[in-house]
Amino acid sequence: MTQPAIFFAEVNERQGLFHRRAILLGAFAGIGISALGARLAYLQLFETQRYEKLATSNQFNFKLAPAPRGVIVDRNGAVLAANRPNFRLMVARDKGMDTEATLKTLASFVPLDDARQRRLLKDIHNAPKRAPVPVMEDMSWEQFSAINVRAPELPGVTADVGEVRVYPHGGAFAHVIGYVAKVNKDDIDAIGKAGGVPDPIMLHPGFRIGKQGVEKALDAELRGRPGAHKVEVDANGREVGHDVDGDIPAVPGDEVQLTLDVDIQNRALEVFGEESGGAVMMDCRTGDILCMSSAPSFDANRFVRGLTGAEYRALSGYERKPLLDKCLTGLYPPGSTFKTMTALAVLMAGIDPEARVSCGGGMNFGGRYFHCHKRGGHGSQNLHDAIKNSCDTYFYSMSLRVGPDRIAQAARAFGLGQTFDIGIPGQKKGIVPDPAWKKRYFSKNEAQQPWWPGENLSYAIGQGYLQVNCLQLAVMTARLANREYKALNPRLIKSVGGKERPRGSDAPDLPFPREHIDRVRAGMAAVTDQSQGGTAWRASQLGLGNILMAGKTGTAQVRNYDSGGSRGKGGTWGLRDHGLFVAFAPIDQPRYAIAVIVQHGMGGSTAAAPRAREIMRTALLKDPELISGIQKPLPMPEIIPDTELDTVPAVSNVERTI
Amino acid sequence: MTVSALTRPGERDRLIVKLAELDWVFVLVLSLIAGAGALMLFSIAGSSWTPWAAAHVARFGICLLLMIALAMIDIRVWFALAYPVYGLGLLLLVAVEAVGDVRLGAQRWLSIGSFSFQPSEVMKLGIVLALARLYHGVSAERARLSWWLLVPALMIGVPVLLVAHQPDLGTAMLIALTGGAIVMLAGLSWKVIGAALAGALAVIPPFVMFGMHEYQRQRVLTFLDPESDPSGSGYHILQSMIALGSGGLLGKGYGLGSQSQLNFLPEKQTDFIFATLAEEFGFVGCVSLLVLYAAAIFMALRTSYLSHSHFGRLAAAGVTATFTLYVLINGAMVMGLAPVVGVPMPMLSYGGTVMLTVMIGFGLVQSVRVHRYAEVTSGKGSFV
Repeated sequence: MTQPAIFFAEVNERQGLFHRRAILLGAFAGIGISALGARLAYLQLFETQRYEKLATSNQFNFKLAPAPRGVIVDRNGAVLAANRPNFRLMVARDKGMDTEATLKTLASFVPLDDARQRRLLKDIHNAPKRAPVPVMEDMSWEQFSAINVRAPELPGVTADVGEVRVYPHGGAFAHVIGYVAKVNKDDIDAIGKAGGVPDPIMLHPGFRIGKQGVEKALDAELRGRPGAHKVEVDANGREVGHDVDGDIPAVPGDEVQLTLDVDIQNRALEVFGEESGGAVMMDCRTGDILCMSSAPSFDANRFVRGLTGAEYRALSGYERKPLLDKCLTGLYPPGSTFKTMTALAVLMAGIDPEARVSCGGGMNFGGRYFHCHKRGGHGSQNLHDAIKNSCDTYFYSMSLRVGPDRIAQAARAFGLGQTFDIGIPGQKKGIVPDPAWKKRYFSKNEAQQPWWPGENLSYAIGQGYLQVNCLQLAVMTARLANREYKALNPRLIKSVGGKERPRGSDAPDLPFPREHIDRVRAGMAAVTDQSQGGTAWRASQLGLGNILMAGKTGTAQVRNYDSGGSRGKGGTWGLRDHGLFVAFAPIDQPRYAIAVIVQHGMGGSTAAAPRAREIMRTALLKDPELISGIQKPLPMPEIIPDTELDTVPAVSNVERTI
Repeated sequence: MTVSALTRPGERDRLIVKLAELDWVFVLVLSLIAGAGALMLFSIAGSSWTPWAAAHVARFGICLLLMIALAMIDIRVWFALAYPVYGLGLLLLVAVEAVGDVRLGAQRWLSIGSFSFQPSEVMKLGIVLALARLYHGVSAERARLSWWLLVPALMIGVPVLLVAHQPDLGTAMLIALTGGAIVMLAGLSWKVIGAALAGALAVIPPFVMFGMHEYQRQRVLTFLDPESDPSGSGYHILQSMIALGSGGLLGKGYGLGSQSQLNFLPEKQTDFIFATLAEEFGFVGCVSLLVLYAAAIFMALRTSYLSHSHFGRLAAAGVTATFTLYVLINGAMVMGLAPVVGVPMPMLSYGGTVMLTVMIGFGLVQSVRVHRYAEVTSGKGSFV
């Protein structure tokens, strides 16, 4: 910098004052800038970590991704519930976006009529900003890829691939497995009421919650642990990037193996046809439930997608009640199948099984005539005959000597009137009445409280207050047939995530002498024995050589016939008798026990027994041990050398495709 | 050119000599600051010259030429134009009160044809010129403590109140502080300074509570506790501090600042550009920039020392004070030390108005430097 040689100093007071004050200004600036520097040092050197964290939480969001739901398989590993990819189209509202025009554009790719567009427009505007609203599910691959290619030009539109539950067997397992559906407000409220906090994954648009059966009972296990995508977002919450390395992988849900057998279950639904009812089959060695079928059924896949109002009305309005589980929830009088229990009570009371009662078509008691189902009467009957012929008069007569408490004791010992820990909800206990129960039940009405001796008669033939469900009948039969005389428990869930659930055969002995149970079994064997002419011998022939089935028929009234009418053998469907049949096979070494109820099917031997036989055949024909006893190896066909084969190139290197 | 040649009469009036007398280091410092601004504007536009960086460079180029041109203007012309410029500023402020455009809820803009500007910017320069002119003819005695001081008080008070009424509290405060700085530099008694400071401290809290517009009060209260409303009015400060803090020692790297690149930082190209720089270049970058600013301030202040005329001294120091206030207020705001007021970082922030104002001011400073030996007559009403 150049300086003049001669310095004209204007020395006056003002200048001196200014110079001093200007130093102050410089000092002020210096201190100010230093203060800024100090503040910077504090923020950038000492508080860096804190602000880095805040910057990262600004920049990255974790977007929850539902875990693949656990697969449900049958006892042989056949898939009953699985997941399949679902190409979804979603639209979210965003700043500066014309939703209506976007939907119009999308309509050229996927079918969206005007009415649907209007409804979607409303949904999108009611949804929070940038919350994706599903526009279409289950797009074809062509639609999905066409939209994905155009996605950059369509703000707010996302096409992604999620998973959707699929039930390959449609309706056959609908009541046992249940179904999954979107989370609704009730689900969230229920968690809140139980004092819990809803899992944030529940708010994910792709998340489905188990609503019934196994899907509901084991929802937590099937759900797995959701993963998360690490996405980079801008200040407006738009995704600008995806950090694949930062993703948290989802832990898939546990595989659930049921004890059911897909073939038996499918056959059971098949044999019901148009009829309504339930069939439960158990392995009477282990307690495993092989089949638990309720007819008519419904396609659970429809529930996953969301039923239309019309579909739901059709299902709920149908008088045969497809939505009701007739194995667990439906309660029915067991009718004559219950005579097995009465027979045990007779033996328990110390009555000689050879003691005879003469049946002349019924008996008078208390001023009322109690009919036997056979108008002409069975003649002289001992216990064995009475079971074989299902003679009502014998049991009427014996019930007066046995009393209700013994009958109830037998019924309870065989699993009636209770629920079982099979792992799914919806079981009803039913009623096993006795004087104590009646007193409790009519606690408000004293006149009804006493147990009238006449009630013993209807109790003995499985009518009156007695109500059971189909599973209980199957358990009863399985316990009767168990060769170890154990109070077998049913098991539906074989294993969860590879961990086996306790077997049903680890159970205490039945509190009855073995010869009593043997006598009842023999009676049941006679029911299906042609040579002895039992009630169900025609309908119970398995056609499998010397593998035979023992059973007991039952025809349960749904109303009192004294008021007249067609005695339950016809007329209005809802007033017809229920047909029941319980059975086990093979007789000598029981493996399978079954209970079939055909609601308003009119006869145990006509409606229930043939169906039980078909289901039983399926089970027996699948049993490897039994099959090996019947099957002979096929003769090997003689191999005739084909000259033309020589011209075909070698196939050894061709990869096999499945 | 030799030193002695400069003593020849008329030598200093030659254009080439005048150009040589310019503080070219100062020009370099300003260019570096503006260059840093362009660098950041390029980064936050996603490595693009549009929409900001190219315009910023172009504006700075034009403003720099303007500054040099203004530096060539004789200090006596500035002296003569002092009152007219102030008068024009006052007139425009009154006009904007009557016919100004309302933008963002405040009446600040005046449109002439397609060109619109804020008259308060004229006043920023006008107040410096007018007060320097005023004190040029006043004895130290009067400037220290006398009834005459009502004149400068009035000269400051009228434009401040007009600007505050727009309402533009930030600019009003800037004008008031600049004026106050000149009055202080001219030798105001410490008693008066002390009393004024005490008075201001006493008046501010009731003014904040009762005299401010709701949004202004909100800003002040938010500043006192930014985390009380992190997504609302505390958002600016909080996001700015996150950007700064997360920059660390060396920054996240050029173009890699998540806060600015992903728009978390509001007003990232204007008022909060310093935070952008802080995020991408860290403490080292920030301190380098602050050193540049400090250099500019001290060079400008030194110019005021060189002047032989009282007008020159006060004018150069006044402009320096304005520039210093800009830097400190914006810095404090970005760092969460002051409430959010619309004061940009001069030369760094995108925006033509402030750059123009500041560069005209520096034109005056350089004119003072170039004409530091010129004798400015103190005759009343003397034009040139």
